[in-house]
Amino acid sequence: MYLPDFDYYVPASVAEACQLLAENIDCAKVISGGTDLLPKMKHGLLSPQILVSIKKIPGLRKIEYVQGKGVVIGAASTINDIVFSEVVQQKYPSVSNAAHTMAANQVRHSGTVGGNLVSAVPSADMPPILMALNATATIEGPNGQRQLPVEDVFCGPSKCLLEKSEIITEIIIPDQAMTGSTYFKFALRRAGALAVVGVAAAVQVENETIKDARVALGAVAPVPMRAKKTEEFLIGKKISDELLEEAGKIAAAECKPITDFRASEEYRRDLVRIYTKRALCKAIDQGHV
Amino acid sequence: MEGIRYPKENTLYKKKEYTQIGQSKPRIDGVSKATGAGKYCGDLKFPNMLYGKMLTSPHAHAKILSIDTSAAEKIPGVIKVITHKDVPSLKYGISPARWDENVLCIDKVRFVGDKVAAVACVDEETCYKALKAIKVEYEVLPAVLNYRTAMNEDMPQIHDEYPRNINTEIHQLFGDVDKALEEAYHVRTDVFEGQRTYQCPIEPHSAISIWKDNKLTVYSSTQSVHYFQYYIAREFGLKMGDVRVIRPLVGGGFGGKLEPTGLEFNGAVLSKLTGRPVKMFYDRAEMFAHNRGRHQGHYEITTGVTKEGKILAAKANFVLDGGAYTSLGIATAYYAGGLLPLTYDFENYQFDLMRMYTNLPACGAQRGHGAPQPKYAFESHLDNVARDLGIDPIEIRKRNARQPNTNTCNGMGIQSCHLTEALEKIETITDWKAKKEKGLPKGRGIGMATGSFVTGAGYPIYRNDYPSSSCMVRVNEDGTSATLYANAIDIGQGSDTVLCQMTAEAMGYRYENMKIVTGDTETAPLDFGAYSSRQTAYCGWACKRAGEEIKAKILETAGFMMHLPPEDLECEEGIIFSKSRPKVEPITFEEAAKKYFIIKGPLVGTGVYTVPRLGGYHKGAPVATSPSYSFCTQAAEVQVDEETGEVDVIHAWDVHDAGQIINPALMKGQVHGAFGMGISETIMEEVVFNKDGKIINPDVGGYRIITALDMPDFTNDLIPSNDEPATPWGLKEIGEGSNNPTMGAVRNAIYDAIGVNVASLPLSYEKVWRAIKEKKEKEQAAK
Ligand SMILES: Cc1cc2nc3c(=O)[nH]c(=O)nc-3n(C[C@H](O)[C@H](O)[C@H](O)COP(=O)(O)OP(=O)(O)OC[C@H]3O[C@@H](n4cnc5c(N)ncnc54)[C@H](O)[C@@H]3O)c2cc1C
Repeated sequence: MYLPDFDYYVPASVAEACQLLAENIDCAKVISGGTDLLPKMKHGLLSPQILVSIKKIPGLRKIEYVQGKGVVIGAASTINDIVFSEVVQQKYPSVSNAAHTMAANQVRHSGTVGGNLVSAVPSADMPPILMALNATATIEGPNGQRQLPVEDVFCGPSKCLLEKSEIITEIIIPDQAMTGSTYFKFALRRAGALAVVGVAAAVQVENETIKDARVALGAVAPVPMRAKKTEEFLIGKKISDELLEEAGKIAAAECKPITDFRASEEYRRDLVRIYTKRALCKAIDQGHV
Repeated sequence: MEGIRYPKENTLYKKKEYTQIGQSKPRIDGVSKATGAGKYCGDLKFPNMLYGKMLTSPHAHAKILSIDTSAAEKIPGVIKVITHKDVPSLKYGISPARWDENVLCIDKVRFVGDKVAAVACVDEETCYKALKAIKVEYEVLPAVLNYRTAMNEDMPQIHDEYPRNINTEIHQLFGDVDKALEEAYHVRTDVFEGQRTYQCPIEPHSAISIWKDNKLTVYSSTQSVHYFQYYIAREFGLKMGDVRVIRPLVGGGFGGKLEPTGLEFNGAVLSKLTGRPVKMFYDRAEMFAHNRGRHQGHYEITTGVTKEGKILAAKANFVLDGGAYTSLGIATAYYAGGLLPLTYDFENYQFDLMRMYTNLPACGAQRGHGAPQPKYAFESHLDNVARDLGIDPIEIRKRNARQPNTNTCNGMGIQSCHLTEALEKIETITDWKAKKEKGLPKGRGIGMATGSFVTGAGYPIYRNDYPSSSCMVRVNEDGTSATLYANAIDIGQGSDTVLCQMTAEAMGYRYENMKIVTGDTETAPLDFGAYSSRQTAYCGWACKRAGEEIKAKILETAGFMMHLPPEDLECEEGIIFSKSRPKVEPITFEEAAKKYFIIKGPLVGTGVYTVPRLGGYHKGAPVATSPSYSFCTQAAEVQVDEETGEVDVIHAWDVHDAGQIINPALMKGQVHGAFGMGISETIMEEVVFNKDGKIINPDVGGYRIITALDMPDFTNDLIPSNDEPATPWGLKEIGEGSNNPTMGAVRNAIYDAIGVNVASLPLSYEKVWRAIKEKKEKEQAAK
């Protein structure tokens, strides 16, 4: 547990950061809150010679509502920024609440939403709710800017579809037709525990019928995943206990959990069943909570 | 004089309550710890100091074929690399029959983390480079990872001297168990399983060794400076007087810092060879690998009872996973069965145990030493028996409860005991009867259990005839302060504070004017340290006696000054007054103390305490003996999510029979903390290994300990008493008995909630989920 030597850069703009990354393509890494990166470096899992901090880049830490765009969350916003953001609390308390399930206060104070996505941990707490709300990430690199749905950012455990010279600058939650959304995290203690299962659901309810639904699952596949069969099953159906029960079963069947020392595959599947049902129920009844 | 309060009216001759004990005085080390000013071993630095690290084994079981240190030695900044060739080959451990551990392994490594080589370098970073450069050639051997099959004929042998990997075997028989079981109305056997847990103190182990001019000084985060001094001197053939062990502040031990580690032994050698101070320490993962945590075990309990639930005989048949070395585990093994006859009175008892060697880190003493898991098994079993007989769980315990002034069948003498009252009180404060009669909401359950623990082990940790505790008090020349010199070790439990309170009480002085020097073998006299919940009682006796000596001396001087016979004088809170003549102007402790110094020189008192001979004469009789025992009852109310298996402990209650409370705030801290630790071990904690014997969760993220948010609401109640004659002021232990009932109480509550038996620790959500699922499947199949 010893942090190896590295050089530390604090660029003043996104362009400068991307240039630094491009120039040192094999030995540089972005550091944001460092809560994921530094432990990995201490364990000898990574040894970048250059760290490029994005914390001082103006604009990367603001959270605002932009007409026509949606809720825009700067990638360097800390998890607690999201927890306490008035904009988020007003528009999507479900996102603020999901952020609050993460880690413990100290980690929420330094960990950022960009880092939470790019670390691409299957159990990360922000992706499911962002995916359920169809959020996109704005990615900037030496060759300009592109948009990627959050669910397409991940391509494997600790792997992202980001070029080494690219950074995520913001996450956009578009204006919703969804009438409700929520995130359930099942963990083995009340703070400082990773999700054994995370379930986010967003629904559009009209006349007791599910007009649209998005269900996203964490910790039960190599990457945070959409439960698309579950969604298809739900759309257009009249709400009933049996419907939600059945949806839970479909989600349990389509997820791909593994057994590790925290939980067995079997247990995780059953938890997906239970929490899909509970999440849908809550999103239907209570709005964005 | 400033700060001295003269009474306006002389009411002093009235009989008063205690003035220094029984009060929640602020901790003597509180400010320095809370502000971060206090220094722990890891904070210390010395001029020219080197950093040391150990290379440990990556294999669970392997022969060492060769060790090549040449590449490491060439790295700039590497000052010294040592292997077994450079250290004494004398083995160490808890008792001569079980000295089985080497400072550095010679021909074999026995667990992932076993000590192979050590380096001293100019800084920490260079240490890691050096460790990487040491080449060790191993021949990997098949490993013994399952303690249940470790005794099988075909298993590899871990230590040549211990056939079939049996480290310790215990067979004790009291009374006629077979006959009693035959005569019993109901006989039941249950089997429970415990898990491996680790103390995980917040402060990692560290040691700084300075070997200079034939004298070795070791700063260490230890629970016992004397034990370290003894073992370090023995290992290096030094006189005890030439080894000085100093304890800076200690951030928790819970039993894991009671025995010296490779840090002290290797640090000493490295310091001797380099002529420089050497600091060595474990990081969190290395602490887990060193371990010495709680043994996991397999516990079979049988009892035979009458129709009314009176226990006629009990049989305990246990197997423990000891890991690769004995550590303190032989005591653990005897404690495992030795303490069971304490809370319930039965005449016939059989205790059989095997402590197995495995190729896993060694297990040792952890809060409640050997007792909590067996107690969990017994308390769970007793609830099962009560259910069989249709008796209420509290009622069956009342019918068997230990009474004062009785002996256990295995030779322990109990004087003060208020267990029955504690059972009655827990029944009242939990609203037990109403909850049982009316029933609780779905998924809700309540359970309880009893506990007990030694107030100090009756015998020292290694054979010797020294007194158990001793201390010295010196009053400052002008009487404005007094310093207590003691080697009682404050590891966070607050012994420095309560010992100063007790000393001040005995002296007739004020706690606020006390200073303390502890944890230094060169300045303070012998004490065996902090283990077996002995510190307050044992060192408390020494403090009381030293304080009383000072008081006698000061009253004699005051007698001269006041022209009164000393017998007529009393001293309280630093005021000396006549007991028979209220109108005589009182004088102060300070005035008398100063006068004493002027006439006679240093005002010093000393105190010593030796435990009387206790216990029976059978093999293993010393373990579990104590001058006095605490008793307690605990209850927990849980809500189980019947779909997910999640267990939420909603409220917990503790009723303690802990005698005279010296410091109520610290008492609460102990009970609260022990319950928290207990509940954490019950529901969450477990050291998990991969198939090669390597720990997969050696960090506080993967090894889950409860957080403040997981701690239930907690009611802390007492059966006040001071009728224990064997301890100073009638106090009893509070540090370890408090997590004795927890596992059983929570298990019984879960059973009450969902009607299923989860028979292995931890009672994790997944296990509860599985038990509920299996129950449902069975019910469906039956339909
Ligand atoms: C004790 C502890 C508990 C934790 N508990 C949880 C938990 O409960 N739930 C959970 O989801 N996570 C948890 N984490 C993980 C971590 O804290 C979060 O994932 C956090 O959001 C990471 O953000 P960061 O800013 O610290 O990332 P960093 O460590 O700074 O970066 C992580 C990775 O992302 C890259 N990166 C960061 N920002 C950007 C960007 N804008 N563009 C491109 N690449 C970027 C970095 O190069 C690095 O590879 C925990 C961590 C700790 C230490």
